[in-house]
Amino acid sequence: MTTVARQKTPEPGPEASGSSNARPAGRRARSRPPGEPRAVGWLYVLPALVVYGAFLLWPLVRGAQFSLYHWDGIGQATWAGLSNYTATWTDPTLRGAFGHLLVLIVFYAILPCCIAFVLVAVMSRTKIRGLTFFRTVLFMPQVIAMVAVAVAWQWVYSTHGPVNTVLGWLHALGLPDWRHGWLGDFTFALPAIGLVGTWVEIGLALVLFLAGVQKIPRELYEAARIDGAGAIREFFTVTLPGLRRELSVALTLTTIMAVRNFDLIYMATAGGPGDSTKVPAYEVYNRTFNTGEVGLGCAIGVTLAVLAFAITAGIGRLVEGKGE
Amino acid sequence: MSRRYERILNHAVLALFAVVALFPMIGIVAQALQLPGNLSFDTFRVAWNEGHFAAYLRNSVIVTAVTVVLASTFSIMAGYALGVMRFRGAGAVFLLFLAGLTIPTEAVVVPLYFDLRSAGLDNSYAGLILPQVAMSVAFGTFWMRAYFRSVPPSLMEAARMDGASSWTTLWRVLVPVGRPAILTMVVLITMWTWNEFLLPLVIVNSDEGLRTAPLGLSFFQGAHKTDYSLLMAGALIIAAPIVIVYVFLQRRFIAGMLSGAIKE
Amino acid sequence: MPTLMRRGTVAAAAVLVTALAAACAPGSSNDKPASKAPAAVSTDVAKAGNVTLTVWDQEVQGGLKEQIEKLNAQFEAKYPNVKIKRVSRSFSDLQKTLRLALSGSNPPDVVEANQGYASMAQYVKDGMLLPLGAYDQAYGWSKRYPKGLLDLNSVTKDGKLIGSGDLYGVSLNGEIVGLYYNKEKLAKLGIQPPKTWDEFEQALATAKGKGEVPIAFGNLEKLPAMQLYGILQDAATGKEAVRKLVFGSGGSWTDGPNVQAAQKLADWAKKGYLTKDSNAVKWDDTPVNFAKGEGLFMFGGTWWAPDLNDRMKDKVGFMLPPAPQAGAPVATMGGESLPWSITSKSKHADVAAAYINFITSPEAMNVAVQAGSLPVLPASTEPDKPLMKEVSAAWAELSKNDGTTPYIDYTTPTFTDAFGGPLQGLVAGKKSAQDAMKAAQDDYTAFQKKK
Repeated sequence: MTTVARQKTPEPGPEASGSSNARPAGRRARSRPPGEPRAVGWLYVLPALVVYGAFLLWPLVRGAQFSLYHWDGIGQATWAGLSNYTATWTDPTLRGAFGHLLVLIVFYAILPCCIAFVLVAVMSRTKIRGLTFFRTVLFMPQVIAMVAVAVAWQWVYSTHGPVNTVLGWLHALGLPDWRHGWLGDFTFALPAIGLVGTWVEIGLALVLFLAGVQKIPRELYEAARIDGAGAIREFFTVTLPGLRRELSVALTLTTIMAVRNFDLIYMATAGGPGDSTKVPAYEVYNRTFNTGEVGLGCAIGVTLAVLAFAITAGIGRLVEGKGE
Repeated sequence: MSRRYERILNHAVLALFAVVALFPMIGIVAQALQLPGNLSFDTFRVAWNEGHFAAYLRNSVIVTAVTVVLASTFSIMAGYALGVMRFRGAGAVFLLFLAGLTIPTEAVVVPLYFDLRSAGLDNSYAGLILPQVAMSVAFGTFWMRAYFRSVPPSLMEAARMDGASSWTTLWRVLVPVGRPAILTMVVLITMWTWNEFLLPLVIVNSDEGLRTAPLGLSFFQGAHKTDYSLLMAGALIIAAPIVIVYVFLQRRFIAGMLSGAIKE
Repeated sequence: MPTLMRRGTVAAAAVLVTALAAACAPGSSNDKPASKAPAAVSTDVAKAGNVTLTVWDQEVQGGLKEQIEKLNAQFEAKYPNVKIKRVSRSFSDLQKTLRLALSGSNPPDVVEANQGYASMAQYVKDGMLLPLGAYDQAYGWSKRYPKGLLDLNSVTKDGKLIGSGDLYGVSLNGEIVGLYYNKEKLAKLGIQPPKTWDEFEQALATAKGKGEVPIAFGNLEKLPAMQLYGILQDAATGKEAVRKLVFGSGGSWTDGPNVQAAQKLADWAKKGYLTKDSNAVKWDDTPVNFAKGEGLFMFGGTWWAPDLNDRMKDKVGFMLPPAPQAGAPVATMGGESLPWSITSKSKHADVAAAYINFITSPEAMNVAVQAGSLPVLPASTEPDKPLMKEVSAAWAELSKNDGTTPYIDYTTPTFTDAFGGPLQGLVAGKKSAQDAMKAAQDDYTAFQKKK
């Protein structure tokens, strides 16, 4: 299980990879004679539980409740039943936003995992000089505040920014003119946002896979090489199967990051041009605070929470191929 | 393909991606310092003054420090209880925390705003800190419980033989031994709290004296959209503290997380 | 892990259901503040004791910033017991945050709340702003301002009709969306500043032929295209029809002339008369690029004038948009800048009103002129900067002809997205004029029905 709520960073949490390890520990704990009155445990848990309940669980409950009303945030609310949820799927803008989310998942989750696989294959096959350096650098986008990332990438994509400059050079060499106003282009704004996500998430997937690769017994690689396997076959027969668990963790975390894509959209495009980069996370804010549809905003928020649950539960089963 | 060529190719691939990863950051630094050409810290001075970043960084430090201290303390205590003690309802409590791991800020920020507003806690440090403590303890408890479960029972046995209470055992014996695990947790919570944007955006809606650094950058962008070098200086100012922490602690940071994964 | 996960989900669902049953409906505690006109009004600021007045404005550019800094200092000097806490942010940031702040527990005392159904009417409906009738009587604002200007800042209590009901704010600056031109470039191409739309089209074609950008245009925020459309609409439809349409008293966005205006915009985009990839260019970048030499022409508000004057000196000119025929009266968007309003939760309404009165006084209008911005009411001093003289002349001519039309984003609370989005599509060649106008009409109908 991995943390998802706040998380930009991997948690191959101790529990994650290892029910096998956790369980014996648990057994030991159970066999230990209780040293203190049992109720003391509650005192230790209480502070965390109170804050957690009051400022996370309770708001979630309230959100679910708000989502059943039409409310402008000020006056009296009127009962709406499930109509806010229906609107989530029938309103063309919102349906579009969920569609954009699917596209972004490709860029945020699938693409980084593919690239990280290539990199990890590269890093595990030969001895790499400066491995720590590469790991540090590739992971760095993860730790930078998304608002700062957004500022940097707006420059990268700007009319006279580096991307267009390079494309201008290519144009001068006789290639077609591929320069665009990337973040203001109906076709390219969404993929451009997506590539920022890819850039951020590669490091996350990579660190997870590197950890996983170290657990694959060396003998498997030696055996594969004795069989005459090349780099590619070696990858598919040894590395990939050995990384299933890490892949599931990486996909879960990166997909959740795609779902929680508010900062970048707010800073870089505000959903535009037209509605072409509107995503549910942005619509939660937009509907609540700009257009005064608090119930609808909450319905989208609850939908996102459910989605996050489902993704976390779903990807694990899918990739690991079992329900445990 | 010979091993030698393969090695060169591998390094080339890695170098390419390292450049891609670094490029926007190098761009930020170069633009902010007006490189290439004339190295100048003028933009920083202007950004620092016009963007009120001194105040915003101070707010971020306060919010982050208090959040980290509270969340870590609560998490260590809760993780300890759930990891080594047996009491009625422990399983249910753990599941409750577990459920919180996946709750995205987006799902709670709207009700949080309206309820904190009714309680008069919007535009206050408390309104910024408490929800972030709540988001952090779900992960922290989960993380610390796993650590406490991995501690050899002999350690606790020995402490009890010496007549130490559970409280003393925790803070005198287990916490010192668990420094690496705790440090990892602290670094992660620090990073999330520092970088959080949506919550401050909504909670700090009128008192600009309470803005955190990322929020400050967002308004700085609103006022200076035309001036990339100023914006880049602002971005650098707010991102630098965490990047510096990361560069210094990355060995323990990544190593801690890896050992977590490998232990399984 | 999945097992734990599933159990976690079940646990969470159980908590959710139980708690939901216990919770009470949102808004039942009813935060809505009473928005009664103050019964007893005090105009004596000195007696108010020590007061910190929090003021939110959007005067972040050039002369606009200068004028308000001066006025604040003068007010504080006059009343040492009052400290003004000024919070300024760009127009778009103010739009994004004002609603949130107004509904918060501790809103600012004075805010610049934009006119229209998207902003002021909504705030009034939700009881966030104080009706100013009593202060109007005390300070005589109705005598100070022509009725047309006060009407724009008035709305009925239910937020349903702009132009009647109570007064909710008064403005300091005048505004016109007009035509900036680069004198140097025009001279180089041998073009005279165009007096009619025909001459303008001619100039655009000439500029395009010479490899210049005819019209500098940045449309990332969607609003710029709405203003450009508005200018074309004023020319195609006429001021009366536009006023009726925007304020919801007749007409349809799909009427012939309205579609023609959109078609004209689409044609310009297609012919390459606008900045390339304009949807990627930020609004406030447009005058900066224009000052750097991009574009012969630029449609824009007079709020850019002080800054442009500093950047371009005598190279820039300003005029009203072209006329249908030479000498015919011109209509364009504008009127008054964002009105200064008092929030209903303010604890210092009397001081706030005195402040608003101070910054809209005849002396304040002179301060505005000296700072190089355009005052909404006639001032006794003359502007000294060349561009401001042209702006001032255009303002006088427009006022004489009663030529101001409302900004079209006033139309509905969601119009910037609902119509601005499709206009971005129109400019990008992705949407037809008919489709864009239909999108506008759909949003309009939905809003009229809800009202």
